[in-house]
Amino acid sequence: MANALTRLQAIIITIIIIVAVVAGIAVWMQTGGGGAPVTVELTGNLETDIINIGKALQDNGVNTVKYTVWSGGDPNSVMRIYGIVEAAERINKIWSDHGINVKIEVSTYYASNPNSVYQDYLSKWGLGQAPDIMANGYVYIASLADEGYVLDLTDYLNKYTSFLNNFYQSLITVMKYKGRIYGIPQDTEARPIYIRKDVATCAGIDLSGLAEKVKNGEFTWKDLYNLAKQAKDKGCAEWGLIHRKGSAHPDLIQFIYAYGGKLYDENTGKLVLDKEAVYKWFATEKAFVDAGLLPSDMMSWDWGKQIHPTVVDGKTFAFIGGVWHWTEWQTKSYYTDPNTGELRPLTAEEVKKFFYYTLFPAGEPGKKPVTLSQPFAWMINSKAGYQNPDYDRLKDIYHKLAFLLVVKASDPDIIALHSIMSSHLPVTKEAADLLGNKQWIDNLKSLSFILSDKVRNEIKSIVEKTANSINIEFLKNVTYMLEYTTFTPMHPQYPKLADYFADAIDKVLRGQMSPEDAVNYLVQKINADPDLKDNTEIIGEIPTGWSFP
Amino acid sequence: MPGMRDVEIRKRSSEILILLAIILASIPLITGYLLLVLSSFSKTMFTNLDPNSFHPTLINWILLFQGRTAAFAGIHVNIWRIVLNTLIVALGISFLVTILGSLNGYAISRMNFPGRKHILALLILLHAFPGSVLVVGVYFIYRLFIPPLELVSIYSFFYVIVARAAVEIPMATWLMKGFFDMIPWEIEWSAIVDGASRFKVWWKILLPMIKPGLAAVMLFGFLAGWMDLIYVRTFLVDITLAKFIEANTYAEYAYLPLVAAAGTLYLLPTILFFIFAQKLIFTISVSGIKG
Repeated sequence: MANALTRLQAIIITIIIIVAVVAGIAVWMQTGGGGAPVTVELTGNLETDIINIGKALQDNGVNTVKYTVWSGGDPNSVMRIYGIVEAAERINKIWSDHGINVKIEVSTYYASNPNSVYQDYLSKWGLGQAPDIMANGYVYIASLADEGYVLDLTDYLNKYTSFLNNFYQSLITVMKYKGRIYGIPQDTEARPIYIRKDVATCAGIDLSGLAEKVKNGEFTWKDLYNLAKQAKDKGCAEWGLIHRKGSAHPDLIQFIYAYGGKLYDENTGKLVLDKEAVYKWFATEKAFVDAGLLPSDMMSWDWGKQIHPTVVDGKTFAFIGGVWHWTEWQTKSYYTDPNTGELRPLTAEEVKKFFYYTLFPAGEPGKKPVTLSQPFAWMINSKAGYQNPDYDRLKDIYHKLAFLLVVKASDPDIIALHSIMSSHLPVTKEAADLLGNKQWIDNLKSLSFILSDKVRNEIKSIVEKTANSINIEFLKNVTYMLEYTTFTPMHPQYPKLADYFADAIDKVLRGQMSPEDAVNYLVQKINADPDLKDNTEIIGEIPTGWSFP
Repeated sequence: MPGMRDVEIRKRSSEILILLAIILASIPLITGYLLLVLSSFSKTMFTNLDPNSFHPTLINWILLFQGRTAAFAGIHVNIWRIVLNTLIVALGISFLVTILGSLNGYAISRMNFPGRKHILALLILLHAFPGSVLVVGVYFIYRLFIPPLELVSIYSFFYVIVARAAVEIPMATWLMKGFFDMIPWEIEWSAIVDGASRFKVWWKILLPMIKPGLAAVMLFGFLAGWMDLIYVRTFLVDITLAKFIEANTYAEYAYLPLVAAAGTLYLLPTILFFIFAQKLIFTISVSGIKG
């Protein structure tokens, strides 16, 4: 027995020694060999900076630099990670052309749920496992910057002013948090109202010039209601209006802006509950439900089986969608072919034939039309390069190289390629210009422009499906919407408020609450949450004597 | 004695009643699995029992094995690597839980040491805490030992296995103690008299006698690892099947029939494990020590 216990003790002691040694080595490697930090000043000239950083890495004995990039979203948007892969290949080529023996290796992770990617980033950051670069919704900047989890890019961008100026400036404005820039725009979008041309024709509705009328504020939600009712009453469509489900953030809050309301006070930095505009939003949707134009269980419809098939099969007059749906309908089998009864994607020609698009109309006369953008941003980990040798000494170089990777991933052709594949709007003027460049478009179809084999092979099937003149024309036609765009507030408490909005509108649609009760319910919810209460101003009053339609 | 009946013999009518109750209770579960499997062979999710929404196809399985997450996606994942990662976690936890559970169970069953009763009570208390409650504390402990460089991936596997196994070990210890308790002391004594060490007795004589218990603990450990999401999601760099399914279930963009195929694949090992270990596990209810 004594022998047995001794053996057991020996095993335990051995395990403890192994753990101690591993931990010791870990701590030693983590702290590095010591020495003064190495730094390279950015010049603002991309190629020069890439070469300088490559040389500095080589001089310090680093020949391979590893970075990880994460992102998420629809399958057509994979350039959100392959943009960095392509940028790394381009930087590697510059180094090899200049005889610098350093290579960047990029590993990738892409999920369909961007929020899950953000959650993963949060939990993995403290463990040193978060990616070096992440493309995700700009709304996450506030919480990530507050926690110190993302790099403040302001000083780098001060050296890269021409690069910065090439972006649409409204997009740069939303990348700022407390006056500092923490993200670089990756893509953006608009949320048009799609109207079925065939349903309109059936109901005797003339759509010509409608987009212009919407733009001028001459066509409001009351007019849209009347047309939708006409289409339904004449039996041309099952529904008058369908919209996206789930969280009201960010599609339905367009109603608040369309009714002249606001969600954020820039002077106080607080969220805003504008009771009048919110009431008008709720009352508008309720009128649609009461007239049988909008399903009362809209907020819990299934995307793949209900929402998209209803829209692409022409069972609704209007749909509050996003620009990305234009190519999504061309790559996913939502459409039931009337001849074969089989499910298939729409062709580009069919999407063009079926759908008219316009801005989100003004709520009522005197108000303005809107759309809403929620740009994706490149964010760089404040520990970028952490998993590379001698991190403490070379930290500055690793951070700057991660920044240069993002700059390179913003090459006009990479942005334009992403726009076409995913039907998102380009974020720079140069990329927008490329969409009008016939020769580039011709090369794109055959993917014969300079693109690494790795990325070319991965995106080939999407490009074959999406790179055509109809889709490019669509992108050019909707770009004007960015002039009317609004944004969701970048505030750490906003997601909570958005959830309450979703909850309240669901209750209104289902008839469980009147619009008035739903507004009061929101007030109660805000007051019951000390954090939200401190960060939200409640303004305006529920209007009396206002009715819709 | 009149009115006395063998416990093994029940009235046929009550047997049918129990069987009926079991079948009724299982219907939602079986329907769920059936719809999942059928959806994996359909172009749209087959979830409303409407035959019109079943569009038969093999494309989901082809796409899954090609490692694609959508019909036209530019994303390739190595699905076999993901299965391997899941197996590493599940088998690692199963191994650790079985070894430590049976060692602990043996010690508590057979050895008298100070605080033995308190440890027994504490074990049950430990089991009362769900993994989600412990994850915060575990997270902070992990942060103290952040490994550098290439060790991160290996270390995160190691950590998930150890952390998740720790949650399972108290129950395994209790189970194993019960099995050891049922083995007569005489068997152990005679082995010790013959010169065997306590370790040898445990390994060579007692363990073979409680194979059903070992199989059960092994299975529970395996399933705990196979289905774990919270520890995997929080600590593991690599992707497992649970994480793959969870990350691709976002309804708007997800190609759900493919997720259903992944879900069906996810079910397979559990079903296989159950089929092969079924006989062994069923002996628990009969004798507890049948080897």
